Amino acid sequence: MSFFLNQVIIGIQLGSQYVMVALGLTLIFGILDISHFAHGHLYMIGAYLLYMVMVLGGVNYWLALFICMAALALVGMLVERAVYRPLRGQPQINTFIAAIGLILMLETLVRGIQPKALSVPKPIDKTLSFGGISMEVQRLIVIIGAILLITALQLFIKRTRLGTAIEAVAQDREGASLVGISVNRISALTFAVATALAAAAAVFMAPLAFISPEMGGVLILKAFVIVVIGGLGSIKGAIAGGYILGLLEALAIAYVSSAYKDVFAFAVLIVILAVRPTGLFRGRD
Amino acid sequence: MLELNDVHSSIGKHEILGGVSLRIEEGELVCLLGANGAGKSTLFKTIAGLIRPWRGEISFEGEVISRKSPDRIVRRGISLCPEGRKLFPRLSVRKNLMMGAYTRYRDKKEVAETLREVYDLFPILEERSEQDAGTLSGGEQQMLAIGRALMCRPRLLLLDEPSLGLAPLVVKKIMETIEDINRRGVTVFLSEQNAGMALAISVRGYVLENGRMVLEGKASELAGNEEVKKAYIGA
Repeated sequence: MSFFLNQVIIGIQLGSQYVMVALGLTLIFGILDISHFAHGHLYMIGAYLLYMVMVLGGVNYWLALFICMAALALVGMLVERAVYRPLRGQPQINTFIAAIGLILMLETLVRGIQPKALSVPKPIDKTLSFGGISMEVQRLIVIIGAILLITALQLFIKRTRLGTAIEAVAQDREGASLVGISVNRISALTFAVATALAAAAAVFMAPLAFISPEMGGVLILKAFVIVVIGGLGSIKGAIAGGYILGLLEALAIAYVSSAYKDVFAFAVLIVILAVRPTGLFRGRD
Repeated sequence: MLELNDVHSSIGKHEILGGVSLRIEEGELVCLLGANGAGKSTLFKTIAGLIRPWRGEISFEGEVISRKSPDRIVRRGISLCPEGRKLFPRLSVRKNLMMGAYTRYRDKKEVAETLREVYDLFPILEERSEQDAGTLSGGEQQMLAIGRALMCRPRLLLLDEPSLGLAPLVVKKIMETIEDINRRGVTVFLSEQNAGMALAISVRGYVLENGRMVLEGKASELAGNEEVKKAYIGA
């Protein structure tokens, strides 16, 4: 039983990371109809920035968290302005190619500067144990950090004027322009929020694994699985989908084989889409 | 107040407006008649800044606005209640209205007053304030669209076919409300296929055909014009 509970905790922790990345993707998709494939690579940049600020710069982990989130928010706005905005109104394939270009550029750039995988020390290197369950503090940080950020995002969207404007643009772009919302500003804001969330996920996860130039690749595929399972553009769907995928993966690792964990993730996608082609939740809410 | 001078605009490669000129004075209620595809909606979208004219000039209260973005134009005091309403279907009625006041967030007190006025104009919206806009009936959605357009306190309200697809009784109610809004000091420019109703409440009217103004005159004159009768009133 305690083995099972341990796996559940690991699953929730994996899911937390997925949710933080998938939420950004789903927001961007809802607002701009863009499949932002480079999102995972911005996550990777967040992890490297943490390494620079914390390991090379000697800054405290928690301060580094805020620095990384703020810096990546700016990077996100830059990507929207320089890569996606000029392509607005053009066929989807153009945006897709631009995203692939950005992925290759970022990955090659990082590999050129630092080809080896790096590791970041844990801010609190302890393991808690109670009743047969043992848990590294860092996993707890991922889980609680994700809950706090997800709640903050929900409050921002449901309770503030700018957050509601994000929903308004997602639901009717022309209507939003007509009430005086600047769609460009809201797009930039959405990219800033989404990329800051990805940076937070990277900062939380980095101490648990090596950081490498290709770490964003598999992650973005899974985040897309989640966004599709959840119903494109749905926030609730991304949250539910992220935790479901994390749990499935952790249980697959524990009871089947770690080599097959990704097989499970994508098999679930295929099955869910066969049964419910529109995803678990209605999109764009 | 609003002046269009030889305005040309296109959607894609198709020229929809081929040189439209018109003038609207402060306080007027002016209607725009025209068949489907005459370019009424394009004309309104061009005034609101959603479509940029490639030739000609639009000025509002003496200032050229034809190169401004839609949000700037809203801030200048022009509000468009578009054809098809363009509501936010999964936001509540109240949030839709509050989004209408997006540009006025600094004066919370005045926004609350405008919200009160809109609720007085359309009491059903207050009853349904927590319901999602998408769950309202067609008539209620139209009221919400007009209410939302009023939330920014426009000096000029553009109404694009507000009666489209609504039952006669609801149309009557909406037309009365439009007259009421105009009496409260808002200049109104109204497009309609339902010419009889529109001419009855307007002072003046224009007739648009294939992207050009073909007739203009007092509402009473237009209502008596044989061609207008034949084409738009069906008498």
